[in-house]
Amino acid sequence: MSDASLPLAPAPAMAAGGRRHLPFWLGAVAVAVLLFVALRAIGNDYGYFAGYFILQYVVLATAWNILGGYAGYVNFGAAGFMAAGAYTAIALRKATGLDLLPGIVAAAAVGALLGLGTGYLTLRLRGVYFSIATLCLAVVLQTLVVNWDYVGGSRGAYIVRPREVAPFTSYGEYLFLVMLVLAVLAVGIARTVEVTRLGRGLQAIRDNERAAEAVGVPTLRLKLIATALCGALMAVAGAPLPYYSGYLNPDGAFSLAYAVNAIAMPLIGGAGTWAGPVIGAVLLGSLQQAATVTISSALNLWIVGWMLVIFVAVAPRGILGWFRKRR
Amino acid sequence: MTRMTRRELGRLAAGATVLAAAPGLSFAQGAPIRIGYSMSLSGGLAPNGRSSLLAHKIWQEDVNARGGILGRPVELVFYDDQSSPANVPGLYTKLLDVDKVDMVTSSYATVMVAPSMPVVMQRNMCYVSLFGAGVNEAFQYNRYFSMNVSGDDIRGNYAKGFLDVAAKLPTPPRSIAILAVDNEFAQKAADSARYLSKQRGLRIAYDRSYPPTTVDFTPTMRSIQAARPDLIFIGSYPPDSNGILRAVSELRITAQMFGGGMIGPQIAAVQAQLGPILNNLVNWDVYSPEPTMDFPGIRAFQEKYRARAVQEQVDVLGNYLQPYAYAQMQVVEQALGRVGRVDQAALAADMHANVFKTVVGDIKFGASGEWSEPRNLLVQFQGITDGDLEKYKRPGTKVILFPENLKSGELRTPYGAPA
Repeated sequence: MSDASLPLAPAPAMAAGGRRHLPFWLGAVAVAVLLFVALRAIGNDYGYFAGYFILQYVVLATAWNILGGYAGYVNFGAAGFMAAGAYTAIALRKATGLDLLPGIVAAAAVGALLGLGTGYLTLRLRGVYFSIATLCLAVVLQTLVVNWDYVGGSRGAYIVRPREVAPFTSYGEYLFLVMLVLAVLAVGIARTVEVTRLGRGLQAIRDNERAAEAVGVPTLRLKLIATALCGALMAVAGAPLPYYSGYLNPDGAFSLAYAVNAIAMPLIGGAGTWAGPVIGAVLLGSLQQAATVTISSALNLWIVGWMLVIFVAVAPRGILGWFRKRR
Repeated sequence: MTRMTRRELGRLAAGATVLAAAPGLSFAQGAPIRIGYSMSLSGGLAPNGRSSLLAHKIWQEDVNARGGILGRPVELVFYDDQSSPANVPGLYTKLLDVDKVDMVTSSYATVMVAPSMPVVMQRNMCYVSLFGAGVNEAFQYNRYFSMNVSGDDIRGNYAKGFLDVAAKLPTPPRSIAILAVDNEFAQKAADSARYLSKQRGLRIAYDRSYPPTTVDFTPTMRSIQAARPDLIFIGSYPPDSNGILRAVSELRITAQMFGGGMIGPQIAAVQAQLGPILNNLVNWDVYSPEPTMDFPGIRAFQEKYRARAVQEQVDVLGNYLQPYAYAQMQVVEQALGRVGRVDQAALAADMHANVFKTVVGDIKFGASGEWSEPRNLLVQFQGITDGDLEKYKRPGTKVILFPENLKSGELRTPYGAPA
């Protein structure tokens, strides 16, 4: 069992969940369409940018939850995986001229390979030792990028994106839609993991890894799948970042805010369930975005810190766990 | 609700008439001209960001006291970007789409200017940036204007002053050591030093970069000492500039010329901390209160700035980018005044065509939006015995060695000699 075990929301009934794939996907697509139509009706580009900001955290938090929530392996290297995706998109564009969508596919492949490699090298470590190893990975990746002149090195890289992409009204709208689709896919994948044998195996690992191994759970294989999935989704969350900002430097790509939010959001929403990271990301992401344009100071991480303190004290299993307990 | 009596109304009307007729007082009327931007008010760039904001506020008060622009008061709409480039696109979208600002200007530093460019370009806005280096090389946006002294060709200009002054040393230098932090601006500085040194046949005895997290510079400076270069060119940022200069002082390293592109010695707090360690340091700068830079309006601005700097907890001297932040807004003001309306295309055409009279001198923008004539200063700290900052308000402490037209003193060598 992991030494750094997390307080988790009780898992929903698996057998029932496993038969409800179609309603989930239909519901998720309906929500996404409604969101897109609503923002288009408002007709304000700021809505797309704020939406992108929140949705990137939905993908990142969901990715973290696959390894941290289901398997109990706390990954501190989220910013490293996200930056790996961003720099993959930059390198691909520079090498081949290919745009955002191929960049996302490439980022998923690189993230998965990176996750797999990291998993293979570090999954013999458990608890805080695994967490420290993932933190080190982010530092190693940042050092690599800083010294890799092809992607801009320490000077950063510019991406001059097109002003418009047909049939969208603006590039902001296009980016929002891309991130919306990625968020739906990420949440769908996480839910599929949760309600299938893979998820049950990961939960067995989280509860007691030795016992799980003793009863025949292929722990190493499942953990490798989880690290690869986690890495791929985190890299996918980062791939549109250079297109969003037009410029990316190592300090921005490896920002502490991504690592902190990737952990805080699932914990506040309820780790170990697919809905928890979504709730946490929407809640915290909206709060941070609102704070940026209202209070307008460095209160973002302060807000995250206080939310964590409050939730650890009042609802250690996150919002979902708190509601389930009350029922 | 209380009703106004006829007598009160009469008094109010009389008061308004007297005020309107008062000589020398003018009042801006109509809807305000809203100028929007993000600024780093927290995070790593906050010290310069907050002092730039104070300069902007002083300009706003000055211009509103003169009757505003086009008879309309000026309103500043700004948000804290937290020194995080990822926040910038969203903030500029909000400024343009929700706040509906009339004009946009930039935050401070290249890493914050660049992420705003796609949004600004999408809306075809005229854009005046602050201390962004070479941002428009990638975007090639014809409505971009840069309030920065480095000009178009950073590689060919940035280290020119350092090497031009070195060439006039009694014993011509033969070797140079180059050390730079791994960040965008310092690497451009080091690239310029490397390029120009090769052009002039100088042997590069040492050429390394270091990560921004470095705290102990003793081993690095020992390596440079072992290479025995005649000149030492450093591209560093505030925390490391302090560490480097302290290490150099402790190791008693000397060189004919030391400095080059250190960011930090321009800042009052660093000057107070380092005191005599700065003596004979030869460094890049943008402003010094020397008689050759006594531009119209600069003293008045600095008096107002210094009167409020302590209370606002920003750089107490205002000898670095603060006058440029004020000048950034003067460019907007003068262009609007000439064009007579908020028309982005006409404003851009005006900015390309005209010379701007600002507190940092006359400015003319080139085709790429950078200054048509770069003005990288090379200054030398002289005669410093303690950390008292009063001397930095007077001429003679930060002597200008380059360019020739602004030169105010002679080079003293070597660096590292007892003060």
